[in-house]
Amino acid sequence: MVLSAQLFSFFTAGSLIVIGIFAALFLDNLIKKIIGLAFIGDGVNLFIITMGYKPGGIVYIFLPNMTISNFAQTASYPLPFALVLTSIVIGASTLAVMLGLVIVLNKRHDSLSASKILGDERD
Amino acid sequence: MDPFIPIMVILPIASALFLNLLHKNDRTVKILAIVTALVLPIIPLLTGYGSHYFGGYAPLSQNSAIAQGLPSLITGTQLFIFHPAITYVFASAQKVMIFILGIIAFFAVFTALNETKKPSGVYAFLMFMGTASVIAILLSDDIFNLYVFFEIAALAQVGIVIASNVKHNYETALKYVILGNIAGPLLLLGIALLLGVTGNVNITDIIYSIKHGLVNPQNPVLLMALGLITFGWLYGSGLPPFHTIKSALYSKALPHGAALIQAFTVFMMVALGVIILRIFSYLPFSKMAIIAVSLLALVLSITMAIVQTDFKRILGYLALGELGYIGIGLGLGTTLGITAGLFQAVNEAIITAFLFIGFGTVLYKTRTSDTRKLGGMMFKNPRVALLVLLAGLAMAGVPPLNAFQSKLMLIQASLQAGVPELGIIMILLSIVTFMTFMKAFYTIYMRPKPPELVIHDYKIPKATIISLVAFLIICLILGLFPQIATSNLQTLASSLV
Repeated sequence: MVLSAQLFSFFTAGSLIVIGIFAALFLDNLIKKIIGLAFIGDGVNLFIITMGYKPGGIVYIFLPNMTISNFAQTASYPLPFALVLTSIVIGASTLAVMLGLVIVLNKRHDSLSASKILGDERD
Repeated sequence: MDPFIPIMVILPIASALFLNLLHKNDRTVKILAIVTALVLPIIPLLTGYGSHYFGGYAPLSQNSAIAQGLPSLITGTQLFIFHPAITYVFASAQKVMIFILGIIAFFAVFTALNETKKPSGVYAFLMFMGTASVIAILLSDDIFNLYVFFEIAALAQVGIVIASNVKHNYETALKYVILGNIAGPLLLLGIALLLGVTGNVNITDIIYSIKHGLVNPQNPVLLMALGLITFGWLYGSGLPPFHTIKSALYSKALPHGAALIQAFTVFMMVALGVIILRIFSYLPFSKMAIIAVSLLALVLSITMAIVQTDFKRILGYLALGELGYIGIGLGLGTTLGITAGLFQAVNEAIITAFLFIGFGTVLYKTRTSDTRKLGGMMFKNPRVALLVLLAGLAMAGVPPLNAFQSKLMLIQASLQAGVPELGIIMILLSIVTFMTFMKAFYTIYMRPKPPELVIHDYKIPKATIISLVAFLIICLILGLFPQIATSNLQTLASSLV
């Protein structure tokens, strides 16, 4: 039951990435594109977290009543969670930049259509 | 552990933050930006080679104080030699590349501060953050740390374009950041797969795990990781299919911004390309894939440059075509080939910066970059025209300038590797590069001035002329004494074979 929960989580991460790529490539509305891009980032983050899951694992805090051997064998791997925290921050920054650009472009072109805004550019 | 190693990254970041804070104080911004830009290329010359472990956490094998008392479960296994902390490695190749990047950053900042009436702390912040990110990418032996700075460098480039106030800059910036939000997470997914298979994000430890059979080298998950990391590499490097957006990015930035952005691109390409070679070179098709993509970049970019009418786009495509030479050198996989590729990267970064700042004087005087509307600039600024012509000759590989040496080495490497066809293609495309450059040079400088063209009387700042002369001197020095760079780059190349 525990294994299938991890598998389900991987499947969800994969679905988020695929849905996000579809939205980013095929939807015309810029906000929907950006939501799709956020899905891709979230899917990758979920993938990493799921990878760090250990059945029966404990939180990686070494308490006084533990032995080093027992701790090394049962603690879950902390690295994926540290990576995801940084990745979430990066995702938030790029999301803010994209949304800021969309606000300015919406004011200029009075539209959220990617084909109109991004396709209109002529040098 | 040399304390100067992290200073190479911390100094520009700290300076960037102060410049952003002190944005309205013009004099302080100018002084701080110039001082930081001056110090940046000096630090790598003073830094000793070695590794820096963040937090002081060296591998247990080097840290007997912590290793004492640990169970054999840890000390008797590979955990004893693995790197627990983020590691920065500084060697001779990093010294050359960071020095050159520092030089380009100095002249880009110097030109930017003198060509604008009011220095912008925010613009300087973006330039220094991008420079710091690329320095970190060159130093980092931790693949996730590399990804973090990869994303910061992408954001800095977008910011430099947004700050340029060129027509359609916001649209180009949005396109680039949208593509970055596909390529970046896919690069992270590749890193996650590497982490899942090897249990490490330290590149040295990943290579150890693969080479010593701790993981199955033919594991299909590793192949998928290679594909995803390569996709991120293509985005960061501006190789196909990202060559059009990268060229657009160059054309929408101010000339000094474009000079810096192209340097970021070149060194990101080298850093990630070297990592792909380090980890995946045991797969024979990895080098073939690098050569194939580089050939495509060479052919596509240079042919696209021929049809452009905006000189910034022409330069952008020519610069991306030159990346193809770098990739071919790396993909050949021999010591001479990789050394030639790395040397070409160093030369190309300088020459393209030279060209962008040189042609930027045309934009400064005429406020247009459309070659159809330009002409007669030779008679207004004959000295700058001569400098730009020399930069073009350098790019084409004319002796005694620097790119002649690196392109000659590349051709020799392709002959040595038994692929003379690559050498022929490189020679032919060098000729096409030169023809494209001369076409642009003729239309801007030599043909009669169109009557409707207005050439303003603004005097080109001395700072710009100094930058151009300095770049020419560097091109001459590296052209006459290539061993200054190649002897330092060869160590890295040998370690990759």
